[in-house]
Amino acid sequence: MLYVVLFFLLVSLLLYVILAGADFGAGIVELFSSEQNQKITKKTVYSVMGPVWEANHIWIIILVVILWVGFPEFYNVLVVYLHIPLTLVLLGITMRGVAFVFRHYDAYKDQSQVVYDWMFRISSFATPIFLGITAGAMVSGELIITENYSNYSFAELFVNPWLNGFSILVGLFFAALCAFLTSILLIGETNETNRPIYVRKSKIANITVIILGFIVLSYGMIFEIKFVTDFLKNPYTISLVALSGILIFPLMKSIKNARRIVSRTLAGVQVVLIILAALITHYPYLIIASNTEMSIIESAATESTINVLGISLIVGGLIILPGVFHLFKSFKMIKILE
Amino acid sequence: MDNLDAARLQMAFTLIFHIVFACIGMVMPFFMIIAHKKWLNTRNPIYLKLTKSWQKGVAIFFVTGAVSGTALSFELGLLWPEFMKYAGPIIGMPFSLEGAAFFVEAIALGFYLYGWDKIPEKFHWFTGVIVGLSGVASGILVVSANGWMNAPSGFDYINGQFLNIDPVKAFFNPAWFTQALHMTLAAFTATGFAVAGIHAYQIYKERQVELHKKAFKIAITFGAIAAILQPISGDLSAKDIAKRQPVKLAAMEAHYETQKGAPLYIGGIVDTENKTVSHKIEIPKALSFLAFGDFDAEVKGLNDFPDDVKPNVPMVHYAFQIMVGIGTLLMVVGGLFFISLKRKSWWQKNWYWLLFAILAPFGFIALEAGWIVTEVGRQPWIIHNVMRTKDAVTPMPGMIYSFYFYLCLYGILTVAVTWLMTRQIKSLNNSKTV
Repeated sequence: MLYVVLFFLLVSLLLYVILAGADFGAGIVELFSSEQNQKITKKTVYSVMGPVWEANHIWIIILVVILWVGFPEFYNVLVVYLHIPLTLVLLGITMRGVAFVFRHYDAYKDQSQVVYDWMFRISSFATPIFLGITAGAMVSGELIITENYSNYSFAELFVNPWLNGFSILVGLFFAALCAFLTSILLIGETNETNRPIYVRKSKIANITVIILGFIVLSYGMIFEIKFVTDFLKNPYTISLVALSGILIFPLMKSIKNARRIVSRTLAGVQVVLIILAALITHYPYLIIASNTEMSIIESAATESTINVLGISLIVGGLIILPGVFHLFKSFKMIKILE
Repeated sequence: MDNLDAARLQMAFTLIFHIVFACIGMVMPFFMIIAHKKWLNTRNPIYLKLTKSWQKGVAIFFVTGAVSGTALSFELGLLWPEFMKYAGPIIGMPFSLEGAAFFVEAIALGFYLYGWDKIPEKFHWFTGVIVGLSGVASGILVVSANGWMNAPSGFDYINGQFLNIDPVKAFFNPAWFTQALHMTLAAFTATGFAVAGIHAYQIYKERQVELHKKAFKIAITFGAIAAILQPISGDLSAKDIAKRQPVKLAAMEAHYETQKGAPLYIGGIVDTENKTVSHKIEIPKALSFLAFGDFDAEVKGLNDFPDDVKPNVPMVHYAFQIMVGIGTLLMVVGGLFFISLKRKSWWQKNWYWLLFAILAPFGFIALEAGWIVTEVGRQPWIIHNVMRTKDAVTPMPGMIYSFYFYLCLYGILTVAVTWLMTRQIKSLNNSKTV
């Protein structure tokens, strides 16, 4: 049953990264657009995401619940030591959600839209950065896991683990990934005249992802961050990253031929491969602190809890997944039956 | 202010906000689907207009409720990591089911909001029903988790270890039913009176009277029925607390001396130094009867409990008085509404609408007061008789800044939502009469 729970943990992580990632990306693409294109993007994004965006963000709640029910000690480390970046993620999620509602549900469309728009764009950019920073901090090797808090300063325990070059680079890398996902998504949703905008944007995003990925790895190598050196040594990791890299070629081709389902799938698969590569590097030791490593498996709750959690997840999944699927299908976000 | 107080304030503050958003998001879909049903049955365009404007309200409150709920799911861990570490595996089940119910709600709401003229009419309406039902299910599940903090069960606590964990037993803890029933009725009362009050004010101001009267009638019917049923559930809760958390009951009543045939105090000013209550109305033997169904039963007083297990007595007592006082008032006014259905002439009177307009916030005041009774009344425990709140708080210093930060965040959120709702109502009133 433990593996059922881990499976759901992985699925909700991947779905959150892809679905919410594309959502965050919408704001990022808008942020880095000319004023004219911002309007087009805003409209397109709403028509694509409107019905599903709330559902997209619930994956993080599922993720958090699985973690704290099933892997309490692991979760404990995250919430104690990464309190500050997680609070900032929270701020971003709140601001973003509110701004999204306001700009689409306000009864009057007037000057206040400008405020909502900026709130939406900035929080869309900041949230994935802090999410990435949190993920980076988990493996940065800067965390100090201790019982004796008084032996260390506030900064050593609660600030340095995430406020460092490596974590920040991971944050930027994740934001670029989000922008990449969205620009690919939008290519298929816009009309002939606007399509070149997003084709160009997806290329820029793709190049940014590659460059940032390269910088993250080089930084890790120079400063001998354990996660990065292991990342480069692990044959599975390297193969997954290489596979993701090779997929760029069919992706470029499918964009050129305007085959939107194929290009979306490819982009999604690329992102999944990168996340899997990062996870597999040190599995099951997903937290690499300066003084210890922490295994997600070993921090699992007792068997009875895992069993109940697993059953709840299976039952919940049976209800939710078809629902999500129909929602996407009904509003033509999945066009397999085309 | 020390770390613990700051963390408690922040938690209280977030919950106070979340409860309002969550209740409205949970109850308003029911108003919406009734209006929708009436539109389908009568094809009166006013009902369509009403449905669509309520639907916007539902969307706004659902999303603010969802983000403040996401914030809470993080905050539980961020503020109380030690609590979550041990409680997570035990009460995780209602939380994971709540996640599922909430997800179903989001999916159904997606269908509902964007499904107009796109999916079959009846199915579209039905997705609205799912929104309402899954909202209520979420509420019940979360309250069940809170019930566990009051009535911990489903584990053995041996030498500081939580052993033999049984999540199903923890879910169906002794407090879950009374608390869930009380909260569900409270949510319907508070939202019913709030929504009805807003529409009553519009009628009082003579704006779009026909539409607002229809809206008023739907909302207040829910509110009034719930308000009239609430005392029954309150009685169940009181008897349950008397058994399980006698110190909480004593604090609610500011009952210091253990005695048989204990009187019930209404109102009064608590003097914690001398352990007395002045300026109260005293009903002989009533407390014994309400707590145990026996006029001569013994009710244990605060003096017979050690100091380190007592909550803040005046706060719990005053909050309890406010809750019961307003609850009684709303029950009476709910009765007036049903009388007014016979005496149609009242609907032409200004005082009638003004009365409901003034009462708009009262349901929520009572609801918040009720949560203060149950949460502050549980202190100093985070898990009753098992773990103290001070042992659960985060080791990270400087929580006071975190508190200020959330204060600003939720302050902005409130101003923003209020501003948005005013604009919705304004736009509704300015639109052409159908």
